[in-house]
Amino acid sequence: MDRSDQARLDAEVRYLHDAFFSRPLAAEVVDRYIRAVRHCGLDEDRTAEKIVRSRLDAEAVEFALRLRGRGVALTRKIRILFYLVEVRSDYYADFVNETPLFGRALWRLAASLARTAWKLVKGSWLVWRHGFG
Amino acid sequence: MAEALFDAIVVGSGPAGTFAARELAGRKVLVLDVGYRAPEGPPLAGSLYALRRERRDLFAELIGDGFEGLHNLHRDPVSLKLKSPRTSYVLRGWQALSPLVSTNFQAMMSFAQGGLANAWGAGVYRFNSEELRQFPLPAGELEPYYDELTAHIGVSGGNDDLVEFFGRDPSLQPPMRLSLLAAGILQRYQAARKRFRMRGITLGLPRLAVLTEPHNGRTPYAYDNLEFFQPYNPAIYNPVFTLDPLIASGALELARGWLVTHFRESAGVVEVYARHVETGAQETFRARNLLLGAGTLSTTRIVLASWRDEQARLPVLENPMACIPLFRLSRIGAALDVNDSSLAQLNVVYRDPESGELLQGSLYGTTGPLRSDVLFGFPLTARAALEWSKYLSPAMTLLMMFYPGRREPDNYIRLQGNALLVNYQWRGTGGPERALLRAFRRIGFHGLAALCQYPAAGSSLHYGCTLPMRAAPARYETGADGRLADTANVYVCDGACFSALPAKNLTFTIMANAMRIARGLRRKME
Repeated sequence: MDRSDQARLDAEVRYLHDAFFSRPLAAEVVDRYIRAVRHCGLDEDRTAEKIVRSRLDAEAVEFALRLRGRGVALTRKIRILFYLVEVRSDYYADFVNETPLFGRALWRLAASLARTAWKLVKGSWLVWRHGFG
Repeated sequence: MAEALFDAIVVGSGPAGTFAARELAGRKVLVLDVGYRAPEGPPLAGSLYALRRERRDLFAELIGDGFEGLHNLHRDPVSLKLKSPRTSYVLRGWQALSPLVSTNFQAMMSFAQGGLANAWGAGVYRFNSEELRQFPLPAGELEPYYDELTAHIGVSGGNDDLVEFFGRDPSLQPPMRLSLLAAGILQRYQAARKRFRMRGITLGLPRLAVLTEPHNGRTPYAYDNLEFFQPYNPAIYNPVFTLDPLIASGALELARGWLVTHFRESAGVVEVYARHVETGAQETFRARNLLLGAGTLSTTRIVLASWRDEQARLPVLENPMACIPLFRLSRIGAALDVNDSSLAQLNVVYRDPESGELLQGSLYGTTGPLRSDVLFGFPLTARAALEWSKYLSPAMTLLMMFYPGRREPDNYIRLQGNALLVNYQWRGTGGPERALLRAFRRIGFHGLAALCQYPAAGSSLHYGCTLPMRAAPARYETGADGRLADTANVYVCDGACFSALPAKNLTFTIMANAMRIARGLRRKME
């Protein structure tokens, strides 16, 4: 992997991470992401690069593509990122609920449904507008 | 070793090979096996959730420096239990060692010592007389072996409504602690038992080869949720616990690293041909008797290759599966009980009124795997799925139902070159799932038929019946004593010789039947 590929994947993981998590990204996660993408044979895919270059909404584009049965590599890259952060204690509370929050949970679930609907509309438009294959 | 003439060679070290070899211990017996072992390293100490909260980074332990935990992102999916850095040895190299070609059968084989029982659900179920009806065995023939096994491996559970299906067992250790969800289901079932039973549904405690009390130097289960990441948990029975001491004491010999390719019989001697998986060296081992216990698919390959038969189409059965998520709505947003177990919490038996078939399943907690394993199965954005997973997990239990294996003329296994070719088609009606959903809804556990998943055929890892036992066996069948028809001294002692495949985990019966066959052989030798 040459330096430009390294830099591309470095920028990619930082951009994807910021789209899903609001905290600083550890350097070792960046390094592992780059190696994992390569290990899974996803380094040739340019969908994420296009998202980064045009500063698009990664969550919306990924979801719209996933529902269309496309964008498999992008989904896999985001899954890699989720795996890599889930095994770190900083992200424990993102994945595991340890405080009873019935009312708040219902509100969050309803909000996330609304968010999904909105992201689907937005993602569909972005997919069409930017010609994601 | 190659010049020696053994009384018996046992191929494989899984449940069948181990218990056949154990019966023959003390004779001149060689166990031939590839025998991969888990990587060395200090065990994870503590519980999964305490470790995840307290250790800054568990990448090496849960994902692995070789990215083993990402296996399902770029290769054919395997059970979540078999892809962690310390458990991936269970499936190591199987496609290369025993290639299998199929477009509709997602099989897996293990060449690890202990075989697929390194990652079993530890369900311990006796086949009852109804399930043994097609076996050419007298009633009660397996019972003494089941009893002996229970005493040897240690089984926890209870004698409740399921006694009708599992039989009464006074020697069980106390059952495992139930999760809040499972305890709630059991309590509500008991209050509505009559209605459930009228619908053909029976619930009860599972019988598991999981210790709740110390047994034979092994320690009880610690509710640490590490089953997906930590091999050789002393509380969960693994055949290596039986075989290792026998090898160490000299009661048996183990030749590790050997893949058996075929056998040939001449003048009362069985020649067993094997290839070393590291060096590629070919070797011939000799014995008076051969016991094939390499697992249904491997044993079938060895038999077909020995007779160089690419034409024969043998039957193959497996237990198709249905996964039914159930939710307790009042538990949404509750704190996840991190001291739950991801092992089976309850058993469910369902008699389908249409087919009359018995289905059996287990309710599982969801605390074992990483959330990233399941997140993208939701029809939600990744961020929304994260919220749903976080708040729904404490409210969710997974009911995994097994169907009995059905003999279909178009389902077969055969040899093609050095590979096995399998055709397997199965289509469920969805009827049992809908009936179960209705029953659980009445006691406050909700699910949707649309959320039921049907893993690909082969995913159950319960394979059998390719060389079935018959009272009068023909070619590619075995006698009640396990001897392969048209051979003088070759015995099949794993799932391949089953005459039927009920909807139960078959491992316990594989062990019992292997003991029975090997004990019969021992008597014959003596």
